[in-house]
Parts: sequence; structure tokens; C-alpha cells
Amino acid sequence: MTANRNGYTRRETLGLGAAALAAGTLGMPFVRTARAQAATFKAGVITSLSGENILGGNLTKQGYDLWADAVNAKGGVEVAGEQFKVEMFYGDDQSNPATGADAAERLIVQNEVDVLFGPYTSGSTIAVQPICQKYQVPMISGSAESPNVWKAKPEFNFGIIPAVDTTSGLSIGVLAKQSNPAAKTVAVIGVNEPFSKETGEGFRDGVAAAGLELAAYELVPPDGDLTPVISKIAALNPDVVAVGGHEEILINVVKTSKSLNFRPKALIMHYGITNPAFAQALGADADGTTGVVVWLPTVAYKDDVFGTAKEFSDMAAKKLGGEPDYTAAGCAASGLVLGDALKRLGKKPALTPEDRVALKDAIAETDIQTFYGPIKFEKDGPHYHDNVQPVPVLVQIQSGKVVAVGPKEAAAADYIYPLPAWK
Amino acid sequence: MDLFLQTLLNGLLIGGVIATFTIAFQLTFGVLHVIDFAVGGWVVLGGYLGYYMAAGLGVDGFLAIPAAFFLFGAIGYLIGPILYNVRNSRTARPELMALALTFGLFTLLRGGMLTAWGFNTRNVPTALSGESLALGPVTVPMIRVAAAVFAIVIAGGLFLFLYRTRYGLAIRATAENRQNAALMGVNIRRLSANVYGLYAGITAMAGVLMGAVYSVNPEIGLRYTLFAFFVAVLAGLGSVGGALVAALLLGVIEAYVSTYVGSSYSLLAIFATLFLVLLISPKGILRRGL
Repeated sequence: MTANRNGYTRRETLGLGAAALAAGTLGMPFVRTARAQAATFKAGVITSLSGENILGGNLTKQGYDLWADAVNAKGGVEVAGEQFKVEMFYGDDQSNPATGADAAERLIVQNEVDVLFGPYTSGSTIAVQPICQKYQVPMISGSAESPNVWKAKPEFNFGIIPAVDTTSGLSIGVLAKQSNPAAKTVAVIGVNEPFSKETGEGFRDGVAAAGLELAAYELVPPDGDLTPVISKIAALNPDVVAVGGHEEILINVVKTSKSLNFRPKALIMHYGITNPAFAQALGADADGTTGVVVWLPTVAYKDDVFGTAKEFSDMAAKKLGGEPDYTAAGCAASGLVLGDALKRLGKKPALTPEDRVALKDAIAETDIQTFYGPIKFEKDGPHYHDNVQPVPVLVQIQSGKVVAVGPKEAAAADYIYPLPAWK
Repeated sequence: MDLFLQTLLNGLLIGGVIATFTIAFQLTFGVLHVIDFAVGGWVVLGGYLGYYMAAGLGVDGFLAIPAAFFLFGAIGYLIGPILYNVRNSRTARPELMALALTFGLFTLLRGGMLTAWGFNTRNVPTALSGESLALGPVTVPMIRVAAAVFAIVIAGGLFLFLYRTRYGLAIRATAENRQNAALMGVNIRRLSANVYGLYAGITAMAGVLMGAVYSVNPEIGLRYTLFAFFVAVLAGLGSVGGALVAALLLGVIEAYVSTYVGSSYSLLAIFATLFLVLLISPKGILRRGL
């Protein structure tokens, strides 16, 4: 065996190297523990920070951040008489559910988050749920609206926004009450794609629940032309036409109806009409269109962290440069649920795996009032772990602006019904 | 009976609308032997030009139609030679390479539009938007009539151009046999650039009308590509006259199935028709396809 110039044999050199490497690796956990002793709750936000859903993704991120900033400004979440700040970590699903699942796994394994805040889209939420289950990490979803999320009975996921079928269903009842003379017949158009179809089914079931007559239920393909369907419905002449679809279809429904000179007494659509692009695209033709939202800055709710809905809206507007919509509000309210559950749990960070399961159980027992409205999760049924408490607010476009028109206690203006003929 | 007549009119007008962006697509296939996946991209670009001219300059959307022809015609003229080179390269499978090129172009257009203009849905306002004419029991949507008239004028114009002019003769000769045409002194490369430019210009003009009839956003291009392809296959690839007939047929089928069977079956009926025609007459309904 030959010794090299500095007097070590090759075997000794290798041995020393291995020892150094081992020391480094073994040393790592201590470094980690030292860092964790800064004692914060770690929350992971998994949402669309790039790709086609970037705008909605940012909306959710901003909503979650609003809560973290607000609670940290007050010193943090209070647990057993001590305050602990919240540290936020972010994962990008790139507007793709499968990528979302990977990003969630990374947040859990690498960033060791105690809890997740859910994605913007229902598709990503459904993809992330099994990851939460696998690692037993609770997730609070402030944006997902598809009933399919809850049909899967996710043990570790909780939804703040009522599933779209419940809101669209209830809205028909609100509309029937606000209309004078009362609406009697309803035709429903649902686009045959996820979300839109469920919205249409919600409208359809709501018609029966409100004791109205269903004139027609039409499921249309997303790529089809709407003239045949609108002509058919025009021949039936229902009082109300309800549409479950995304923004593009909604715009095309209004354009096609006008070009066929068909104007129902009310035209109700769930999603998208609050997007300024809708009124911008249609100009005066958008006026009179009814929509459904879960939350508006004018609702009469409040809590300790954000104050009233109006105060939350002003604070958010200052930070985000525009009035927040119900997605941002739902995400901020997700934080309130977490804060409340951590307080009741009474465990200091960092949470052990057993603590996380206990946190999940604590979240399931949530029963609080917030600026967003009441929050309490369903314990069984098709909306398992979804918060179906809030009553939807009916809005109408009047002179290009979205105003609340029902139910009575939330209305800021009279409901225009029946709609005047096309100009 | 009223609904029956209204449905017939709806169907014919849907056909007229689909024909607008299919006619030039056929010409490109006939001459360049390329299935241009980018057709939906040109439609959407035309729609956006209409939107920006109407929103930015405050002019009527119809004024964007000639602007679309010159602007996108020029861009198509520049892209044409690239497509020609790929299609006639000596590497293996140039027809698939050309297909990949147009698919890439389509993806680039879609992504570029999404980045530049966002995903909001836009509308092209025109003097005829929302206008209707009551003709006895049926209501005639005027903007769709405008689109159908456009399709007929373009098809007629192309027909005259192809069969009554010297340059049209050169185009037909090239479509029939490229080598023979070249031997007769036709500059195939320049002719290909011209045809692609003509096609891009006409398709973008149709796009302005699509924005007025429906609406426009970067994601909808694929729908137009698919419909152009359905119609082209039904018409027989390369047959310009067949495109008009096939589009009208598909429109009428879609309208009647939607009204009397159910909207969810309309695409099924279209595919079934396509399948049957391919089975019985693989060269398209007029048996004029390549």
C-alpha cells in the first residue's frame, strides 16, 4: 500500500471523506430543528401561479396572504396563551391538476407544512386530495366550487365556498321571491362540461325545489351553435332562462337571443357575469342579466380579524388595487378557519403527524361567524366537508354595474323584472 | 311548423357561417397539399383585429374586414415559402413535417395571443349585430345573413378567379400536377406564397365575422380548426365548391338534431354523417376531393 504525498493512504483518505460526509448528513436534522425553533405555523398554498388560470390563481394566493398578513400583524395565531406567526409557502400547479399533486407533495415533504390552502380550480383540488390523505395533512380550500370535489368524500379537505349546485339551486328560489309578478316557468341550458353542467343541474333541481315549472332542460355541447336551442326555448316562451356555463357561452347566449329577438323576463347565469369583461363585451345588452355570487362587500357579516365585510373589502382594495371578489374573500376566510382550529387544538408548532390529524378533526368541528358569513362543514351527504351555510346573493347588471338585488336583506337596488324588450 | 322553418333557416345560416372559414382552407390543401392546423389561429387573429379596431378606433367592426385581408394576407405571404420548403423538403415524410409545422404555428399563435391579450372573451360590435328581421313566422338574424353572403361571395369570387383568369389556371395546374406546372413555367414557390397569403387573408376576414356572430378569445381557435377539418373531409379535401355544400349540410343537420332530438346529440350526428360519407364516398359528397 503506498502512501501519497501528504502521508495518507488511499484507504485512509476515502475513510475520512466518508466520515466527513456522514457528519454532514447527520448534522442536517439538527440544523433543521434549529430553524424550526423560530416556532411558526407553516402553511402551504397550492394554486395556479402560471398557465391559463394565472389570474384566478393569483386571486386565491392574494386571499390567503391577506389572512396571513392580517394575523401576523396582530402578533400571530394565539395558542395556549402564546402567539405564533404564520409562515407561507407556495406551490405552483401550472394550471394542471397532475402538476398540482406533485407541488402539494413537495410542500408537505420538503417544506414540512402543517396545513395546505387549496387550489383555484376544482380539477387541481381533486388531484391534490389524495396527497393530503396519503400524508394526513389537512387542506382548506377557499376557491373550489365543483360538487365533484365533495362527492369524493375527502377526509382531509374542507371547502369554504358552497358547491355550485347548491348556490345555483337556491338562487332560483331567491329569484322567484324577488320577481313580481312571480316567475312561473324556467328553461335551463347547461353546457356539457365540468362545472357548467353541475351549475345547470343545480338550476334544474332548484326549479323543482322552488315549486316552479321546468319548461326545458337542454344540455348543449361547448362547441355547438346556440341558435337551435334558443329558437326552441323561444317557442316555449318561459319566464326565466337559466344558463350554466363559462363566460364565452354566456356572452354568446345573450348575442344569440338578441339576434333572434328573444327576451325572457329574466336571464340568470351563475358565474362570469361579475367579470367586467362580460359587461364590456356586451355593452348595453348586458344590462338586466342576473347572476349569483356567494359574497359581496355589502353583506352584513363580521369577525375579530378582518372586521366587517366592508372593512375587509377596503383593506383588500388598498393592498390589491381593486375590490376583492368572493374567491379572494373565501380564501381569506379559509385562514380564519385555520386560526380558530389551531386555537382550539392548543398545540404549539411544529405540529407532529398526530397533531395534524387532530387539527383535521378540529377543523371538522368549525362553527364560526366571519366577515364572509357563517362557516360550518357538512358531516355527511353529497356535500361532505363543504360549507353550505351561506345564502347566495342575487346580482343584476344595471347600467353596466353589478348590484345586489336579492334576497331582500342584501339588496342594494330593486330587481328589474320583467326585462324590457331589446333596443 | 314555425319552429320547423326557423330551424331550417338556423341550419342554413350555421352552414353559411362555417363555410366562411372553410373555403380558403380547401384552396390551401388543393395547392400546397398541407392540412393547415393554423386555420383556427387566423380566424381568432381576425376576430381580435375586429375587436381592437372597434374598441380602439371606435369604427364599425365591418371596416376591419378589408384591413384583416391586407394585414394577415401579407403575413401569410411571408409564411407561405417556409411552409412550401418544409412540404417539399427531401427529408422523410414531408407531409407530416408540414402538419407539425402548422400545428406549431397554431400553438404559437394561441400562446402568443393568450400572453398578449389575456383570456377574456371579446366581442366585435357591428352595425348588424343583434339586428333581426321578422319574415312571417321566422326571425332572421342579420349578422349571420351577412356571414352567409360573405361565404357565397368569396366562393363565387374564388371560382371566377380559378376558372376565368390565367393565374387561376396556373393555380389549378399546380394543384393537379406540380412538376408539369413547373415545366410550363409556373413559379411554384411564388405561387405557393401567394396562395397561402390569399388563404390567410380570407380566413382572417372570416374571423372578423366570427367575432361578430359569436365572440373571440384565444382558446376558441381549435374549434374552428376542427370544424374546418370536418367540412373539408365531408366536402372532399381540396374541393372549394364541395365546402359550401358540406357546410350547409352540417349546419342543417346540427340545427334539426339540436331542436328535435337534443343538443347533446348534435355533434354525434355530425360525426355519424362524416363517417357514413367517408364509407360511401371517400372523395367527399361531390366526389371532387383529391
